[in-house]
Amino acid sequence: MEILSRIGVYSFPVLLVGVPLYAWRKGVPVYETFISGAQDGLKTVIGTLPYLVAIFVGVSCFRGSGALDLISRFLGVILRPLGIPADMLPLVVIRPISGSGALAITADLVQRYGPDSPFGLLASILQGATDTSFFVVTLYFGAVGVKRTRHALAACLFGDLCGFVAGVLVWRMLVR
Amino acid sequence: MDTVWLCLIALGCATALLTGQVDAMMMSVIDGADQAIQLVIGLAGIYCLWSGIEKLAAESGLVDALASLTRPVLSFLFPRLKGDKHPLGTISATVISNMLGLSSTTPLGLKAMKEIQRVSKTEDDSMDSMIRLVVMCAAGFCVFPSSIIAIRAALGSSAPAAISGPCALAGLAATTGGLLAHRVLSRNPGKRR
Repeated sequence: MEILSRIGVYSFPVLLVGVPLYAWRKGVPVYETFISGAQDGLKTVIGTLPYLVAIFVGVSCFRGSGALDLISRFLGVILRPLGIPADMLPLVVIRPISGSGALAITADLVQRYGPDSPFGLLASILQGATDTSFFVVTLYFGAVGVKRTRHALAACLFGDLCGFVAGVLVWRMLVR
Repeated sequence: MDTVWLCLIALGCATALLTGQVDAMMMSVIDGADQAIQLVIGLAGIYCLWSGIEKLAAESGLVDALASLTRPVLSFLFPRLKGDKHPLGTISATVISNMLGLSSTTPLGLKAMKEIQRVSKTEDDSMDSMIRLVVMCAAGFCVFPSSIIAIRAALGSSAPAAISGPCALAGLAATTGGLLAHRVLSRNPGKRR
């Protein structure tokens, strides 16, 4: 794992200098090309704004009204027999909807239980099991202007569910 | 998406009315719209940086080389993109970047979406490849979950990166599950939004 984290840290400068150097050796006008790419990136990012406003408004309406809490509590009753404390549930419900919200909950759980305790580990694993599906679907399809996303969200949410189940299974083997 | 969006708003407003939390809901909505702008502004710089680097990689032939290297795996995962080097190269860059937990993932992913759209001949083709890519990114298969490791380290863990393996396994399950769900659900695309 130490090696992996090193790779993560060092790949940034390697890419940052390696790609332009390689392009320069191949005779690509480096500065010009970089600027034109950055312009494309800026256009893409601005184009996603309306999509992001829509989904953020929807999600915060759902969360601010307390509806999200209600659903978490309801689902908590179902998960308790599995030996998972009910306060893991808001994390699982919020994870696909709000990335920053889920990270805040994880931080709170990890602090409360201790980072190396069984439940601290479980919270970390659930957080890392998947990504923010609502956000990814909105952003990616927003960038290409696709408004009808078909079953993309359903497939992502099913994937999230698989990730959580696998996470709990691995966690059980880990702490036993 | 229509249904999901309407449900979020309708359920939110209904709950707010029933529990008398209309003020809190309103503040939260205003805050949410604000957050979207903040996010875009906050991300714009890093997007420009990675989009610029990606363009250099594309122009210099690096992306094509990456595509040739990862072709066996990617042709299997993206059957409708066979032979189209450019999207495949960008897709593999996205996936690798995602696995390493780098900030370049989203800019590369968006670029890959645009390239899929450009080379696909029919809407069915492009949607199939796009949903596959979105599922893979949303599943967050990551061997180095940097934000969680940072939190754990800050809270005094003796082994902050110990969750990397389990997270990677769970992410792999999420990816597999999502792709399987896509296969099943795409059988009758006409009925779904």
